[in-house]
Amino acid sequence: MTASKAASHRQGVTAARRCGESEGASSLSGSISDSISGSISASVGRSSARKIAVMSLLALIAAAAYMLVSVNPKFAAYAFKLRAPKLITILITAFAIGGATVVFQTVINNNIVTPCLLGMNALYTMVHTMIVFFFNTGSVAFANRNVSFAVDLVVMSFASMIIYGWLFKKTKYNVLYVLLVGTVLANFFGSMQSTMVRVMDPNEYDALLVTLVASFSKVNADIITFALALMAVVIFALRKELALLNVITLGKEQAINLGVDYDATIRRLLLGVTIFITIATALVGPISFLGLIIANLSRQLFKTYRHAYLIAGSALFGMIALVAGQTVVEHVFVYSVPVSVFVTVGGGVYFLFLLMRRKAV
Amino acid sequence: MGIIKERKITVILAGTLTLLSVFSLFVGVIDLRGGAAAAGGLGRLDVLLISRLPRLLAILCTGVGMSVAGLIMQQLCMNKFVSPTTGATLSSAQLGILLALLFMPRSTLWSRAAFAFASALTGTWLFIWFIQRIKFKDTVMVPLVGMMFGNVIGGVTSLLAYRYEMTQALSTWLVGHFALVIRGRYEIVYLVLPLIVIAFIFANHFNIVGMGKTFSKNLGVNYGVVLFGGLTIAAAITASIVVVVGSVSYIGLIVPNIVSMFKGDKIRGSLIDAALSGAIFVLVCDLIGRVVIAPYELPIELIIGILGSVLFVAILIRRLSHGRKHISLGRVKASRAIGGIQ
Amino acid sequence: MRSDALTKIYDGKTVVDHISFEIPKGKVVSFIGPNGAGKSTVIGMLSRLIARDGGTAEFEGKDVAKWKSGELAKRLAILTQTNNIQMKLTVWELVAFGRFPYSGSHLTERDNQAVRQAIEYMELTDLTDSFIDELSGGQRQRAYIAMVIAQDTEYVLLDEPTNNLDIYHASNMMKIIRRLCDELGKTVILVLHEINYAAFYSDVICAFVDGKIAAFGSVKEVMNPTTLSAIYGVDFEMIEVNGKPLSIYY
Repeated sequence: MTASKAASHRQGVTAARRCGESEGASSLSGSISDSISGSISASVGRSSARKIAVMSLLALIAAAAYMLVSVNPKFAAYAFKLRAPKLITILITAFAIGGATVVFQTVINNNIVTPCLLGMNALYTMVHTMIVFFFNTGSVAFANRNVSFAVDLVVMSFASMIIYGWLFKKTKYNVLYVLLVGTVLANFFGSMQSTMVRVMDPNEYDALLVTLVASFSKVNADIITFALALMAVVIFALRKELALLNVITLGKEQAINLGVDYDATIRRLLLGVTIFITIATALVGPISFLGLIIANLSRQLFKTYRHAYLIAGSALFGMIALVAGQTVVEHVFVYSVPVSVFVTVGGGVYFLFLLMRRKAV
Repeated sequence: MGIIKERKITVILAGTLTLLSVFSLFVGVIDLRGGAAAAGGLGRLDVLLISRLPRLLAILCTGVGMSVAGLIMQQLCMNKFVSPTTGATLSSAQLGILLALLFMPRSTLWSRAAFAFASALTGTWLFIWFIQRIKFKDTVMVPLVGMMFGNVIGGVTSLLAYRYEMTQALSTWLVGHFALVIRGRYEIVYLVLPLIVIAFIFANHFNIVGMGKTFSKNLGVNYGVVLFGGLTIAAAITASIVVVVGSVSYIGLIVPNIVSMFKGDKIRGSLIDAALSGAIFVLVCDLIGRVVIAPYELPIELIIGILGSVLFVAILIRRLSHGRKHISLGRVKASRAIGGIQ
Repeated sequence: MRSDALTKIYDGKTVVDHISFEIPKGKVVSFIGPNGAGKSTVIGMLSRLIARDGGTAEFEGKDVAKWKSGELAKRLAILTQTNNIQMKLTVWELVAFGRFPYSGSHLTERDNQAVRQAIEYMELTDLTDSFIDELSGGQRQRAYIAMVIAQDTEYVLLDEPTNNLDIYHASNMMKIIRRLCDELGKTVILVLHEINYAAFYSDVICAFVDGKIAAFGSVKEVMNPTTLSAIYGVDFEMIEVNGKPLSIYY
């Protein structure tokens, strides 16, 4: 078997020689193409690495600015203690959303979609409201932040696994339909939530409302550790599937041709995406469109199919944008407008711009 | 013979609607079924005239109007998933109302309607212009883009609302409800009824334009004018309903799809059925909303949101598992439509 | 490679109806037939892209569904009609994907060599670093074929490889397919619309009508006026060029 393959190789070589004009020309062009392609791919790799380095530096500067702007030296320690968890939360969120969106877009083979379209923000809002509705704001599940985070995470993971797992199966992995159903479900969750709110005690509602707006300030160290650990577990569990992302770029049929177990792979990847988005949402609340912006900026900047760069770039863009944005919101707008509103408007306009440029989706 | 058979569905729908309407008049907080109230017939009649009748008319107009608007938009865009909800019309109308509240704090209902209409029209037109420029590989992308488009407009709306602390005032127009429709508030009837009549008159034109630019040129129909006119009617209907009862989603999306599952895509024939079915749908939702947590009531938008999304998902899944037989997406069977024109 | 009572049903309509055949090794086998006859569906089922509703499809004595996908990828390659990639990929990068079944994402020196040979074989050396979305239709098609060559499989399945190509590029493509068989010893199965290409360049023709096999045999056996008229429902006249039967129809 190996012998036959070697033979076919040799045949291939001789055939290649025969099709060239002369043996000399063919080997010459071969060596030239070799050196060109070698140098090109090396230089692409190098320039990508350089871009990553520059972006990391920018992210660092933004982080430093966030920590240091208008800090009274006397209370520096206190300010740091206050700001550090927020900063880390922002970084985690950016990584979770950025990475999940790149993976999601590749799996769906469409660069203008975001996992937000699945309706997970609305699901979060509904789950959160449900907890208040069935227990109440005084219960441990709501009042204790750690417990509340864990409950959100568990309920949402289960709900999304059941709902989206069922959807993927029902639509036979036709992701466009999953998206369409997702947007409709978002509406459904929204209506359910409003219905519950209508019947709810107004005081309870006030307490609930605060937790429903995206914000980076409601997180403590326990939650951060837990979220990080969970993300590490997911990445470890999906390491094989993540390595297949480059091939999945080629589309379903080519991926199967090259030996990828397509359906199982995308099922696991999408599950990972769901968990990542769940983590980000449970951490900071609903934040839409961010993923769309940063994933596309990353794709534009790196212009490669290598997902290591794309994901890193997307996460870094997210970190820079969110940290800088949060600094501006805190110090320039003095919290008058939530970041999420900025992200929705900015992201939406960017999305339309992307559509106009592409002209085919 | 054939005509009666063909109209059978329509007759059944009309009958159901009449029964439901009468039933709806007598369901409510105050018992109208007679006997119980000592005050006698006069008070009961008052309740009927003051609250129940205007409400019923508003419900009927909403149901008819939204489904007609949806049907027109679907025909013109050649896509079964386009509707006021998925075509940015609804969200633009909301933005229009917010702008009216901002710039003319003491605006009357009519000027708000004008604002909402202008804005809904602009939004719808932008959206149509947009999707006509882009080549869609899959028809499902169109409503997705529409919903994102709507999200952007909604984002602008909430940004403005935040800035000027109008979030609360806005919420009235974000959730449609009939609770405030009482005697004297027949505006919705004045607004919607003429538009529906116009829609019926030009139904065949919409059908032709739905077949495409060259097709309509061949038949001597001015594509641009009819497209513009049709969208204007759809936007005007949507805007009027948003101004009076608030936004009511999904009817325009679901009702025409269900009707075409039974009747095919010829607009003239299905327009009446869509209108009747839309009215029945809203009426049923309204009854549910009034009964579930009586003596209070749930806004109609919530009931429609829940029922509508479940129905819509059911339609989608059905379409997927039965292929294109039941809902032919975006394509009208040429032979059938030509037959209708002659 | 053989199939037995292979069946596919879409929406209650039987698209492929109990098809049984055996593909001879080391030959060019063309699937012909009118639109909707089930040719592409058969190719899809043979290559595990499409799940079947009945029957068997065996490859090397083992059910295609039972093969490990990664192993099968080293023995059998499939190229379908629709290949739209959203990513910026160069020809080299695309062809290098052909080595994925062997080495994953880390290419060895041997892989690089195979990629280079495949590119040379398809005469794409000058375009090695061009982005595939900037190529002409014919060049892009050749790049995909180069990827299949780099995949180095004994069997190659192609779904309408001449689609969207002009006469020059289409006949070139057919010559390449012939060479894949003659020079590299591969078995090539392809779907074709142009029956004269099938007649001129293939060894075996399998004609489909309404999801059933209407004719299966050597070119000479299938290419006669009676058989072709029965398949396509139009009249045919035959001429002979270079000892091969060609059809004229109008």
